[in-house]
Amino acid sequence: MQAVSAFLIPFLDIQLLGLVAAGTFAGIYIGAIPGLSVTMAVSILISFTFAWPVYPALALMIGIFMGGVYGGSRTAILLNIPGAPAAIATGLDGYPMAKKGEAGEAIGITTVMSFFGGAVGIIVLAVAAPMVSEFALKFQPRDYMLLAVLGILLVGSLSGESLIKGIFAGAFGILIGTVGLDPLTIADRFTFGFSELRGGISFVAVMIGMFGISEALVQLHDVNKAAVRQQINRIVPSWSTITKYLPLSLRCSGIGVIIGALPGTGGDIAALMAYDHAKRTTKNPEVPFGEGAREGLVAPETANNAAVGGAFIPMMTLGIPGDAVTAIMIGALFIHGLNPGPMLMIDKPDMFWFIVGALTLANVFMLIFGLTGIRFFVKVVETPRSVLIPVIILLSIVGAYAVKSSLVDVYWMLGFGVLGYFMKLYGFQLGPVILGVILSRLLDDNWRRAIISDQESLPMLLKGIVTSPLSLVLFSAVLFILLAPLWRKVTARRAA
Amino acid sequence: MREGQTRRPGEALFVGFLTLASLGLLIKAYGIAGFEALSSPGALPMAATAVMLLSALIILRQTIKAPAIRTETIREHILPAAVVVAMVAITAYAFLLEPLGFLITSFLFLAVLIRVLSGRSLFFCVWSSAACVLLIYVVFRIVFSVLMPEGIVPEREILAWLGRLFGGGR
Repeated sequence: MQAVSAFLIPFLDIQLLGLVAAGTFAGIYIGAIPGLSVTMAVSILISFTFAWPVYPALALMIGIFMGGVYGGSRTAILLNIPGAPAAIATGLDGYPMAKKGEAGEAIGITTVMSFFGGAVGIIVLAVAAPMVSEFALKFQPRDYMLLAVLGILLVGSLSGESLIKGIFAGAFGILIGTVGLDPLTIADRFTFGFSELRGGISFVAVMIGMFGISEALVQLHDVNKAAVRQQINRIVPSWSTITKYLPLSLRCSGIGVIIGALPGTGGDIAALMAYDHAKRTTKNPEVPFGEGAREGLVAPETANNAAVGGAFIPMMTLGIPGDAVTAIMIGALFIHGLNPGPMLMIDKPDMFWFIVGALTLANVFMLIFGLTGIRFFVKVVETPRSVLIPVIILLSIVGAYAVKSSLVDVYWMLGFGVLGYFMKLYGFQLGPVILGVILSRLLDDNWRRAIISDQESLPMLLKGIVTSPLSLVLFSAVLFILLAPLWRKVTARRAA
Repeated sequence: MREGQTRRPGEALFVGFLTLASLGLLIKAYGIAGFEALSSPGALPMAATAVMLLSALIILRQTIKAPAIRTETIREHILPAAVVVAMVAITAYAFLLEPLGFLITSFLFLAVLIRVLSGRSLFFCVWSSAACVLLIYVVFRIVFSVLMPEGIVPEREILAWLGRLFGGGR
């Protein structure tokens, strides 16, 4: 009963309802406008909503997350510029449809299938998360330590071209998270004698710098790129079209949820895998793939929205973010004094059910806004980048300043923005940096607990890992990620 | 962002900088507690910086061995004029924010940047910047209650005057 009433809060409270609606609406535009990303928007938003009560802040962020994942598909279809990485696969068949004058139908199919995928993801979240969190209560400190390492490594290995650059980025993130006074011994760590550093580096400044400023600077490379406008026809798809693609949609939702739930993998990987699945399993598509196949739209769009619900599973049950956006969401929960993990699910189950309710509501709003207002949408996404990017930079600066009214945070943001810009240009992933920052404390606390309980003995810690099935699985996964590229290299050399 | 196993202009220099920074940070991390205990406050920082140094050395080796991309230049592909202008503008914004205040600094920042990036008319830059700053101010100052530096603009007096004007002098 408590779960039902918490689930219904965003539906019944007019302010929360409005915030979810506003968030979803804004998310669709943010996700759609090339150069703006959901990660960027949510990280900037934290700095403005940190003083709000937790429910309104979460309602707005969840709306933006849900709308943003969907919004990327619209520009992929209309302009052949995916608004977000999760929409890359959508453009493969969506843009050819738009060129044939079927943009409206393409948008209609993606909207309905995104809604369907989102709903499946939320149902799985609601069913699976309580079970996972119950299981997570059996986790020892060493398991949390291994899980944090695994999460960072997975993000590093799956989100970019180079594992070693991902490892560097993850370790760098952990280092940033350790700056300041050690909470156990009050020892100075990397403060260089500056009292401003004793409280640590504001992770909001790091996030805005890494995802806001660096992305805006990268976008300045194509500041004068013009978009080609398409004609829009009928949007709402027919019932027969929906039922025809429902089985494929269900399969791809499954792919989306599973991929989304794995730390390090998000909607982009889920969408590409689902597209590949559709290509392999559709024997005779009416239109070939790459030339406007409806299956090529249904698969990635259901999967990337299903991945949203999936990404919340490790975040809510283990405190391990599934991707950069959920890492930022964890940051938002920290700011509001909440600690995601199995204990949150037990101590504050209403928080979990509120999030499930807000996600469901955002999914409904996504369907409504997705099928309306296309003409206004086309005008907004055509805003020139030369105007848009300076405004994004300004919002980033205001966001970094707003948290503590501190110019020091603006300097940090600027520093991390420039560093993030060069890291991006040279192929370093930024996701692991944020994950490292967020998981640094969890890693530090659990490493120290684990090693102290094993009497400061590494052999005893290793023995504990080898004799516990769960620890052994996690440890093997860590080793597998580290050793697999070496193994591939050795076998490739032998084959040559 | 980049193509396979190739080296972009300035990449070796950047990775070299990361390597040296990692080494410096490892030394600093050792200074926290040395090898005092595995659970010491310096254990995780030392582990993180050691991993950074090791991975940076591997990346540096790979980068130096990779063939350079001859078609790219620093000025065009790494630090184009638009990026340099934006970086300078952000730095100037950070320095001017407190003395000049949010409204004036933001207006100047947007007007200059839009003018440089778009090459549009001065009139367009002025009105679009003023409209954006006003919108951001209304949303963040009034909706989100974010306090930004007032600088030389007497914001509180203006807001109070507006309040009296629309509140009928109450």
